[in-house]
Amino acid sequence: MARPSDLPASTTPTSEQSWSSERVLFRKVLYMKQPYPDNYVDVTFLEHLQRNANLRVRDYWTTVQDFGVILQHATSVLIFVALFILLYTKRLSSTLLIWVGALLTIAGYIFWDMSIRRIDAQYQVHRTAFFIFATLLGLSPILRILTKDISVDTIWAMTVCMFLANMLMHDYGPAPSNMACRFSGAMSTNTAIFASVLLASRLDSNIDVFALTSIAVEWFALFPILRRQFKRLSRRHSNTLTCILMLICTVMYYYISWMLMLIYVAACLFITFVCTWWLISIQKYKNEIHGPWDEARPQLQRQATAAD
Amino acid sequence: MLSLMGMYWGTKPDGNRGDTAQLPRLVSDFFYPNMGGVESHLFHLGQQLIQRGHKVVVVTHAYGQRTGIRYVTNGLKVYYLPAWVGYQQATPPTFFAFFPILRCIFVREQIQVVHGHQALSPLCHEAIFHARTMGLRTCFTDHSLFGFNDLGNVVGNKVLKFTLSDVDHVICVSHTSKENTVLRAALDPQDVSVIPNAIAVSQFVPDPSAPDPNWITIVVISRLAYRKGIDLLVAVIPRVCAIFPKVRFLIDGAKRIDLEQMRENCLLHDRVRFIGSVKHHEVRNVLVQGNIFLNTSLTEAFCIAVVEAASCGLTVVSTHVGGIPEVLPPHMICFAQPEENDLVRAVMQAVKSVQMKEVMPMRQHAEVKEMYSWANVAARTEVVYKQVMRINTPPFIERLRRYYGCGLWAGKLFCIMAAIDLLFLVLLEWWLPREAIEIAPSFPTKKYKRIRQMTSDKSGGS
Repeated sequence: MARPSDLPASTTPTSEQSWSSERVLFRKVLYMKQPYPDNYVDVTFLEHLQRNANLRVRDYWTTVQDFGVILQHATSVLIFVALFILLYTKRLSSTLLIWVGALLTIAGYIFWDMSIRRIDAQYQVHRTAFFIFATLLGLSPILRILTKDISVDTIWAMTVCMFLANMLMHDYGPAPSNMACRFSGAMSTNTAIFASVLLASRLDSNIDVFALTSIAVEWFALFPILRRQFKRLSRRHSNTLTCILMLICTVMYYYISWMLMLIYVAACLFITFVCTWWLISIQKYKNEIHGPWDEARPQLQRQATAAD
Repeated sequence: MLSLMGMYWGTKPDGNRGDTAQLPRLVSDFFYPNMGGVESHLFHLGQQLIQRGHKVVVVTHAYGQRTGIRYVTNGLKVYYLPAWVGYQQATPPTFFAFFPILRCIFVREQIQVVHGHQALSPLCHEAIFHARTMGLRTCFTDHSLFGFNDLGNVVGNKVLKFTLSDVDHVICVSHTSKENTVLRAALDPQDVSVIPNAIAVSQFVPDPSAPDPNWITIVVISRLAYRKGIDLLVAVIPRVCAIFPKVRFLIDGAKRIDLEQMRENCLLHDRVRFIGSVKHHEVRNVLVQGNIFLNTSLTEAFCIAVVEAASCGLTVVSTHVGGIPEVLPPHMICFAQPEENDLVRAVMQAVKSVQMKEVMPMRQHAEVKEMYSWANVAARTEVVYKQVMRINTPPFIERLRRYYGCGLWAGKLFCIMAAIDLLFLVLLEWWLPREAIEIAPSFPTKKYKRIRQMTSDKSGGS
C-alpha cells in the first residue's frame, strides 16, 4: 500500500533542530514537527496498554463458598413458596406461622442489634414495626379478595415472573463497610412483596393472608439484612446459615413433593459445584484492556473544605 | 466543470479517471451553527482545503431554521439534510434512509473522497458506508476517546468496526487517540494517520493589559459535565481560595448547579464569578482576563481549549489524561493527576510561577503559532487524500470479506447490510438514473477571490 512518505512536516523543516540526521528519536508529541510520516508506527506504539490489570484469580473452594450467597437467596424464595403451599393445602396452621415468624424476627433483631452494638432509639423501631404489622392486619381482608376476578393460572405465572425478577435484581454484593443497614435493592424487594401479595390473595381466611404477608415482609425485607450481617461476621457463619436454610428447604419439599425435592437438591449441587467450575474455567477468556484513553476516576478528599 | 478545483499533483502519474481534481466532502452531524471542537475543525479544514484549490462540500443535518443548501465563507458549500435530531445533536441511526439523498449529492457534486467526522455521528457512518457501495474513496477522522468497559462503548465500538473495516484511511487527532482507534476497530496502524487539531492562532492573541493586576485570575472554560471533571473543580476551588487570598476564578459553562452550591457553601461570591455560556468568538476576550487556565477533564483526545489558552499567554494547569500530554510542551503546562490533592499542588505551582512573572505571554503566543496551524493540518490531510486516491477500490467480494471478519454474528449481519445496500443502489440507479441528476455548478472561487481582492483594495485594504 502506498504511504504518505513525503509529508509537508518533513519537507518544510522550520525549527532549529537538525532534520538532516535520520536518527531523530520519535516522540509521542504533537507540538513538534518530526521527520516521520503521519502514519508512522513507532516501537512505543501501545506501550501503555494494560491487559487484565485488575484480574483476580479465583480459588475454587473460596468461590464455592461465595456462591452460598446465591444459594441462600434462591433457597429463601423457595422456602417462602413452600410455606404458601403448606398454608394453601391447609397443612400448616397460620397461628403457628405468625408466632414462629415473630419469634425469629425478634431473635434476629436482637442478634443484629448486639452484633453491631448500635445505640439507637429502640422505641422508634418498635413503633414502626407495630404500625407495619397493624396495617397489614387491617389490609388482610382487602388483600384476600384482591385478585378474585383473575384466574389462578395468571396468578401462578405472574408470581413466577416476579420471583425470577427478584432473584435477578437482588443485591448479592458484599455488605457495606460502614455498618449501615441497607435494603437489598428497592426493585427486588418490591417484586418479592408483589409476588407474595399475589399468593396471599389466593388464601381463604384473613388470618392466613396476614400470616403470609407478614412473613413476606420479614423474609424479603429484613432477612437479607441479617444474611448480610452473617456474611460480614465470618465465612463460617454464612456457610452454617446456608446449610440450615438448605436443610429446612429440603425437609419442606420432602413433605410437598418428593420429585421437587430431588430437583432442588440437584440444582443446588449444580449451582455450587458445576457453575463455580464453569466460572473459573471461562476466566481465561477474559481480555480487559486499559490504557491512557480510559476515563480517569477523579479522586477526591472529603476533608473539611474552605479551611478558616 | 472541474477546472476550478483542480489540485494538480506534481509527481503523480495521472490515473484517476482522466482528471486530477479532488473533491473531498466532509460529512458529519456536527457543523455550524452548533459550535464545538468538531464543528470548528470542519470549518477551518474546509477553508484551508479551498485555499489549496480543492472543492469542499460539507454535509450535516438541519439545525432548526437552518435548512437546505448554504454557502458560508469563501464558498464552502453546506448541505443541511432534513433529519430528526436525537441525543446531543446527533441524528438517530437510520442505516439506509439517507442513501437516496446522499447519492444525489455525491453525483451532482462529483464527489471523489468522502471524509466522515466523529465516531458518534450516525450520519457519518452511513455516508461512508454508502460511499463505499458507490465505489468512492473514504476516510474518517476520530475526534474522541472511548473506553472498552461499558455496554454503550461496546456497541459504539462495534458500529465503528463496521464502518472502519472498509475505509481507505483513518485520521486521529493524537497518538493516544490513534492507539485507541486501532484497538477499537482492529485496524492496521499503518492505515491510521495522526493529524492534530489546530486553532486559528490569530484569533487568540494575548492582551497583557486585560488581567486585573490586583488579582491572579484562574479561568475555567468547559462544558462543566462529569467527563470534564466538574467534581474535581468543585473540590479544588475552595482549597485554592483558602491558600491564596489573592486568587479568583472566572468560570464559563452551562451546567453549574454543583459549582453554585459550592460557592454558596463556602461563601466565595467575591472570588468565583460565573459568566454564562460564552460564544466561541468571545472566548478569547474571556481568556485574556486570566493568568491561569484550569482544565480538569477526565478524558480528552486532544483538548483544543488548552491550546487556545496557551496561545492567549495563560499558564495552563491540566489533568494528565488522554492525549493532553502530547499537546503542549512541558514549560507551558503544569500537569496533575486527576486527584484533588495533586491538582491543588499543580495550581499552587502555577500561581507561584505567575507571581514570579515567569510567563511571557507574547513569546508563548509565538511558540504556539509555530506549533499549530490549520494550513499545516490541511496540507497533511491533503497527503492522506492523495494517498487514498491511489488505492484501488476493492471489488464487492473483498468488502464482504472485510465485513465478515467483524465477528461471529455481527460479521454476517454486516454482510447482509452491505448486500442490501448494493441492491438499493441498483434500485436507485434504475429509479433515478445517474444521467438524470443535474451536475451542480461549482462556486467560482477564483472570481470570488479576485472580486474580494478588488473591493478590499478599494476600501483601503484590511
